[in-house]
Amino acid sequence: MATENTAWQLEDFVDSLVVELDKTRETLAVKSINKALSYSVKEVALDLNIFPNYDGDQVTFITAQPGQQGASKVSIQLGSITDQQVRATSKVPGAKNEIRLNQIDVDKKTRKELRKLGVNSAEDLKELERKNVDIAKVSDNSIDYRKLASQIEKTRRSQNPPKVDAAVLSMDQSQSPYLLIRGQNLATDPRFEPVAVINDKLAEVLFCDENEMRIRITDDHNFSANNEVVLTVDPFAVLRMNVKA
Amino acid sequence: MIDPAFLPFAAVLERLASFNPEIVDEAAGVRSYIHTCEIEMPVELDVVRGDDGALQIGSAPPLYYVDTTFRPSFHRVRFIVETPQHSDGD
Repeated sequence: MATENTAWQLEDFVDSLVVELDKTRETLAVKSINKALSYSVKEVALDLNIFPNYDGDQVTFITAQPGQQGASKVSIQLGSITDQQVRATSKVPGAKNEIRLNQIDVDKKTRKELRKLGVNSAEDLKELERKNVDIAKVSDNSIDYRKLASQIEKTRRSQNPPKVDAAVLSMDQSQSPYLLIRGQNLATDPRFEPVAVINDKLAEVLFCDENEMRIRITDDHNFSANNEVVLTVDPFAVLRMNVKA
Repeated sequence: MIDPAFLPFAAVLERLASFNPEIVDEAAGVRSYIHTCEIEMPVELDVVRGDDGALQIGSAPPLYYVDTTFRPSFHRVRFIVETPQHSDGD
């Protein structure tokens, strides 16, 4: 007799079924190389006796076991489709730096609402924005779009954090000193003007881009042997460093 | 792990599809072939979660022919295979 069956979600079960079907297809494809007359799978259908369970959040199923009666029935049909059909009905798999919904730090309710709307990634959300869909309206105001966009930015930024390679004291043409910061992913958000603080005093940012920042140093900054420099390059990236002169 | 009495679902499907497609009667000089085969049968399933978190589907055809009071739960599988030549012609 089989061991106790595990509760499963339909998505998991279909995924496993597809994997099994793919294995069969591969075996039959290899077989067809040596045998002129062989078969390919056209369709697999399963009628399952199951016990559904809804915990208020998601539906899970347990496959009926020997001796168990009163089970419900779920029918799953897997047919073969062509690569053209796959392209027409499926989304291109996510790019390497795509942000999936489960990576974004949002509350469970928002995540559930987004899933219901078919939003699984930041890209899906962007696509809705491009098509002028008011996500707050379609979700009965249960999704705060501004908060969500901010969380996505935060996640995106945490995937590409700023990195400082060097901090050099330099002089401009008028012989005024400035601090030159070199690195990667420094000022990546053009909507935000970086803020620099040297030894607790605000400093003027002369130039900034992804790889370089120039910060003016004045007498007010009391630049000495040890200096604390704090750079806020965007709302989600704050750098604090100790610069030795 | 799937119960040892059960086979991975793919193995069951492979075995269902491994029959000789040709029927030859040399005496009569007739050669026929099966272009489509549809199998529908009851199966027992053992669904467990593997160490990698993925579901593993174990299955077995009905093993006993004796009518017992403790009846297995028979799910149903329908499996259609066809020769590629036949599907091209659809």
